[in-house]
Amino acid sequence: MAEDLSLNGSDNEDTQKDKYLTFHLAGEDYGIEICYVIEIIGIQSITEVPDMPAFIRGVINLRGKVIPVMDVRARFKLSARDYDDRTCIIVINVDATEVGLVVDEVSEVADIPEGQVEPAPRTSKNSDNSYIQGMGKMNNRVIILLDVHKLLFSGDMQRLLQNDGDDE
Amino acid sequence: MSMQLDDDQIEIIQEFVTESRDMIEQLEPAIIELGQNSDPETMNAIFRLFHSMKGSAGFLEFTHLTRVAHAAESLLDLIRNNEIELLPEHVTLFCAACDFSKDALDAVDASFSDDEMNVAADTISAQLHQAIDGPATSIEDPEDSIANIPAAAVPSEPAPVFPELEITEEMRTSFVQESGELLQNAEQGLLNWGEHPEDSDSIGDIFRHIHSFKGNCGFFGFGHLEKLSHQMENVLDRVKSGSKLAVDNPTEQLLASLDLLQQGLNNIADGKEDFIEDLDSHLDDLKNLMSPLLGDLLAEEGVDKLAISSAVEIQKKPVGEILMQQGSATAEQIAKALKRQQESSEEAKSKAKPVSRSKVPAKRQDIRVELGKLDNLINLIGEMVIAENMLIHNPDLKGLELENFGKAAQHMSKLVRELQEMAMSIRMVPVSGLFRRMIRLVHDISVKAGKKVDLQLIGEETEIDKTVIETITDPLVHLLRNSLDHGLETPAERSANGKSDKGTIKLSARHEEGEVWVTIEDDGRGLNRDKILEKAINKGLIDGDGSDLTEKQINNLIFAPGFSTAAQVTDISGRGVGMDVVKRNLEKIKGKIDITSKLGQGTRINLRIPLTLAIIDGMMVRTGTTTCIVPTLSILEAYRPEMEQITVTPDGDELARVREHFFPVVRLHQILNKKPDSEQLCDGILIVLEYQDSRFCLFIDEILGQQQTVIKGLSDFIGTVPGVSGCTILGDGGVSLILDVGTLVESFDSKKELADAALISKGGK
Repeated sequence: MAEDLSLNGSDNEDTQKDKYLTFHLAGEDYGIEICYVIEIIGIQSITEVPDMPAFIRGVINLRGKVIPVMDVRARFKLSARDYDDRTCIIVINVDATEVGLVVDEVSEVADIPEGQVEPAPRTSKNSDNSYIQGMGKMNNRVIILLDVHKLLFSGDMQRLLQNDGDDE
Repeated sequence: MSMQLDDDQIEIIQEFVTESRDMIEQLEPAIIELGQNSDPETMNAIFRLFHSMKGSAGFLEFTHLTRVAHAAESLLDLIRNNEIELLPEHVTLFCAACDFSKDALDAVDASFSDDEMNVAADTISAQLHQAIDGPATSIEDPEDSIANIPAAAVPSEPAPVFPELEITEEMRTSFVQESGELLQNAEQGLLNWGEHPEDSDSIGDIFRHIHSFKGNCGFFGFGHLEKLSHQMENVLDRVKSGSKLAVDNPTEQLLASLDLLQQGLNNIADGKEDFIEDLDSHLDDLKNLMSPLLGDLLAEEGVDKLAISSAVEIQKKPVGEILMQQGSATAEQIAKALKRQQESSEEAKSKAKPVSRSKVPAKRQDIRVELGKLDNLINLIGEMVIAENMLIHNPDLKGLELENFGKAAQHMSKLVRELQEMAMSIRMVPVSGLFRRMIRLVHDISVKAGKKVDLQLIGEETEIDKTVIETITDPLVHLLRNSLDHGLETPAERSANGKSDKGTIKLSARHEEGEVWVTIEDDGRGLNRDKILEKAINKGLIDGDGSDLTEKQINNLIFAPGFSTAAQVTDISGRGVGMDVVKRNLEKIKGKIDITSKLGQGTRINLRIPLTLAIIDGMMVRTGTTTCIVPTLSILEAYRPEMEQITVTPDGDELARVREHFFPVVRLHQILNKKPDSEQLCDGILIVLEYQDSRFCLFIDEILGQQQTVIKGLSDFIGTVPGVSGCTILGDGGVSLILDVGTLVESFDSKKELADAALISKGGK
């Protein structure tokens, strides 16, 4: 099931440019820059960790490494959905922190040149916009490009972790 | 050796090289020992080495090697027969001969000839012959050693004993490491000696360390360091030979110089030059320590004593020049003195060079390995343990009769376990190095703060993971500073309170409860509860008057950033940063801090540090569908409770009776938010756990078994989780949490409160 993309390397810098791994989540297409992606694995048993925000599902064993798993649906406060055989964990490495992202379905590696990326719309209504790096246009589809740094480390996330830790 | 070599000869040569190298390795420490006590057995061993090397080298026609070995042998023979008295410079010569032999062997190994060692062999054997012919002027001879002094002011070029070597980055790194150790040892010795000036052994030690350091620097061509260390060596030499110095106790001055050397060394480590600021003024300071003796030398040459003392005042210029200007000394007298100075500086050079390569005598042999490689190795072994578990407990094997497989598996388990233990021990280093660094710190601060203190080090041999040691260095510094500056009273205050005027600080390390405990204990004034509360209220750290806070909570207030009860910020402490650093660094390694303090009696701060990557014996337990590991160390017993053993208090707290005692019950499923098989206590199992002095019962559904587990940290992304100390990977590849007995109760209490609150609000509706 494991599919090693093995694209993570400095010499591949150019070939990785403008490439995004796209995935489905609640009917929308999302993309993350391919250079952060380490591998994609099928859903496996996740060990829950107490006192975590709801979107941190727990930890998994990735070949001897223990990595936390974040449910992206829960992160965006979308309705929960049972995991099935299409559910995947995308393992990303951001600033030496490895985290697994649970997504509904991984679709493809898409080439979205810079010219095709619109800046993120700033609607005050939806605060989750801060995770959006831009909107990628591909044919007639729109792909929401995620800013993985903010997804993992945004102040919002820190606050959530903190609050959960303190209150409970 | 122009003839062609056949394979046989090459083999013989190689064997010779290996054998000789081994012998030299063994004998180097012995030679250095020889300087301290000329044990006839050691002497014979060294003699045998040179003799057999001479024989083999002669047979293989390595003429230069033969020459040197022969000369060394002759000198040794004379010493052995008491015809020549063994002098320190002889020891140095033998070391030089050893070093030469090593270089020659390297050359032989590379080119099967020692021709290129021609020059070096000449130098060494000339020196040896000189030592044989006329007993060399003794180093204890006061006149000669005095003549040494000005030599330091003249930059001495490295003597050409060794062929030009290219200094690689690797050599540089190992130089920095080695020299750092030498400096540390020297510092250690100095502090010792400062306390017991009558101890002449320690001064010899310091001298040797500084000497080797100087040698190292000279070898690498670090002029500044060499000059400064040379001057220190001179001062030490004076002390060693029992002469008086300008000041009674030069410790402070020497310590300051050591700091400069360290600073220069740091510069080198950073890839810069060995630049030392104000080198000349420091050199002069050191020289001033000995200036009266310099005068004596010239007085012997017939120079007017008055003139000398005035010359001493004008130390900046060469003494000879000044004296000539004043007409107090003739050019002839100066020239004579200078010549003697020259001679002895040569001697000093030849003495300094060879020892540079011989290490401080060490019984065990070390090899320096890059830490990254070690980490990789340990990670790999950790993964191998897991892989082994997955293999042996593979579900495919279930129910099969596999006698031979079982045997093989058992054998492998044993090997893997040994390998793991070995790997873990590699990373562990004794805390003695860390502790000893603190001696200096305590010495400095106590002088500065005008307090008397006796630092006791206990459990120096306790081994802790290297990275942990690095992390707790800063906290330890801060804690010690606090103890000294705030904790301990001034001698006057102490006497007034009926304590001895010398305070005691105990620094101890030991293994306890699967952790390492580093404790700092002082017998000072203790934490002042009222003062802390007052400050905390002022700073708005707590609500109310703090009367509802426990002792522990109050003590913990001192870890808040910016918190300081010191009335005055001194240059040692008081800004309130230190304790915050302590807390942060300890959190980094998932350590904990306990403070206990009695007003007027002292404070005890206990740092509890987990052994990283330790394997622990764990009991696997289950509640509902979740399995967890409980450290076996904390388990006292486990039993299935009867209904009548359980008491429920009006507050809803459950108590379980174990013989005469009642222990609170902690429900694991509530901590993990899981559904257990049954909520009834008598359907499950209670495990009695002990944490420090408190005991409680953990309610679980079932005990699954016991196994050794490799502790893995939960990801940094998750941070610290109350009640959980880490996790481990099970045989089936799943992850299981390891419960932290210490924080389990706290976690349970907060959970229960939350649940109770929810219940109440539900009931209200």
